[in-house]
Amino acid sequence: MSITYIGLESARQLRNARGLIFTFAIPLVMLLIFGSAYGAGGAMDKTTGLPWVVVTTIQMAGYGGMMAALGQAFNIVTERSLGWNRQLRVTPLSGTGYLVSKVVAALAVSIASIVLLILVSVVVLGAKLSFLGWSMATLGLWAGVIPFALIAVLIGQFAKPSYAQPLFMVVFLGMAILGGLWIPLQIMPDWVSTVAQVVPSYWLNRMGQMGASLSGNILEPILILLSWTVVLAGFVIWRYRRDAARN
Amino acid sequence: MNQISLIEPIVIQLTGLKKSFGQLRAVDGIDITINSGEVVALLGPNGAGKSTTIDLALGLTHPTAGRARLFGGDPHDAIKDGRVGAMLQGGALLPGMTVSQAVALVASVHKHPLSVAEALDRARCTEIAKQRVSKLSGGQMQRARFAVAVVSNPSLLILDEPTAAMDVEARRVFWQSMQEFTNQGRTVVFATHYLDEADTYADRIIMLNAGKIVADGTPSEVKAVVSGRRIRASFNFERTVDIADDLQRLPGVTSVEHRGEKFTIVSDDSDAALRMLLNRYPDIHDIEVTAHNMDDAFLTLTAASRDANQSAQAAALTGVGK
Repeated sequence: MSITYIGLESARQLRNARGLIFTFAIPLVMLLIFGSAYGAGGAMDKTTGLPWVVVTTIQMAGYGGMMAALGQAFNIVTERSLGWNRQLRVTPLSGTGYLVSKVVAALAVSIASIVLLILVSVVVLGAKLSFLGWSMATLGLWAGVIPFALIAVLIGQFAKPSYAQPLFMVVFLGMAILGGLWIPLQIMPDWVSTVAQVVPSYWLNRMGQMGASLSGNILEPILILLSWTVVLAGFVIWRYRRDAARN
Repeated sequence: MNQISLIEPIVIQLTGLKKSFGQLRAVDGIDITINSGEVVALLGPNGAGKSTTIDLALGLTHPTAGRARLFGGDPHDAIKDGRVGAMLQGGALLPGMTVSQAVALVASVHKHPLSVAEALDRARCTEIAKQRVSKLSGGQMQRARFAVAVVSNPSLLILDEPTAAMDVEARRVFWQSMQEFTNQGRTVVFATHYLDEADTYADRIIMLNAGKIVADGTPSEVKAVVSGRRIRASFNFERTVDIADDLQRLPGVTSVEHRGEKFTIVSDDSDAALRMLLNRYPDIHDIEVTAHNMDDAFLTLTAASRDANQSAQAAALTGVGK
């Protein structure tokens, strides 16, 4: 596995400004709209004990980070259809190395998105939280994005270019809405929150909230997201081996 | 064992290689041994099995039967060691990157690559280094892909139709850079359907048709398969059986064909045949004498293998009938 390759791959994706504008712009616009709507007058959320503007910021940063990671799916599908993977197969880069480079690139773009959203919230919306709180929220969200990077790799492995787009839409809308990244679950009936716990995006949001409030049993979301990670990684490896064998 | 494989003069060894896609037998029993330093052309029409043979040799696809070895071992090991560079059909560079970024990205996975500047220079890509891949012309794109293929400083270079989409000048420049590369004793295998390329740049031609080898030898050997020259002329006299027999008996004649007022004689001794011809039939006119070229060899050989296939199939059918 080549560290230089992984670094260049991440740098390449971060330089791709045109592609990233869309990844970053939508959560940013939503943050500015919902942040002012929910956060007006310094209202507090009773469930998390955080100001509403912070709750919204974490939702949107989680959403932005998730989008950035899921966006890898498109990169993989496009690169596969172009023939770049075929070119890579005549190099010493292993299949594992390729997949790791995609996960790392997903995490690199994610952290950029998360940090950007939090900065905008602090500067533009005047969201207030301790530095430690912001740092822990960032770290929690970033770690929580890992399963989404694997979902992206899995979509990239499975989907043909023709249905990658609808598949991506279903996954990301489902994750964003069900997991409470768009509309806070606190304002929904209780049963919605119970159902939401089946999707990893709910726990992604919880990671951010617990980080920000520096309270709560952080072990719970960590273990659940870790299970998601293990299961998804299993699928990715299984699929990769099957592809290799079929050739 | 390892020591032996390090000094192995055999670079590519394909034994009894077969690959079927459903009913289609893309590669149908191929045996090839290529030694270190050879420049080999895989020549054949579209669908002859050139690309599939290359994929099999590189271990990119599993054979239905037979075995492919590179440098005496598994193709994957040779690739992992960076001993193989390849320009494949359907392999592409990412459009958003510049040529030098693409070369640098591929260089980063190799253990002992050339410097990016040197790879670009060898592939004549220095002046397009800063250009985006999406902005390249067909010929420039092929050069960029060549730079990517040579950046690992490979001992074996496999090029699948490298000059497709190139104009004449671009092809000339491309082969010039390829020759500099092979002059250093590297092994090169290239697939092409340009006969003149195989003739000019390879020291061995392996001709494929319908997944089988129909000829394997030096360019002159392959051309000699269809020996002789062709004499073509028009005549005004009436064609009789006697005259036809007489033409058939001219020195070295292997075939005589008539079409309207024209005949074509193929002879291994065209000079003597023509002298005698003019002596006996002084009024023939519009005389042309042409050498056989690769195209003729190609057509003859592929037609021969098709006939052989058909008779084999016919034999098989008769066998079934009984």
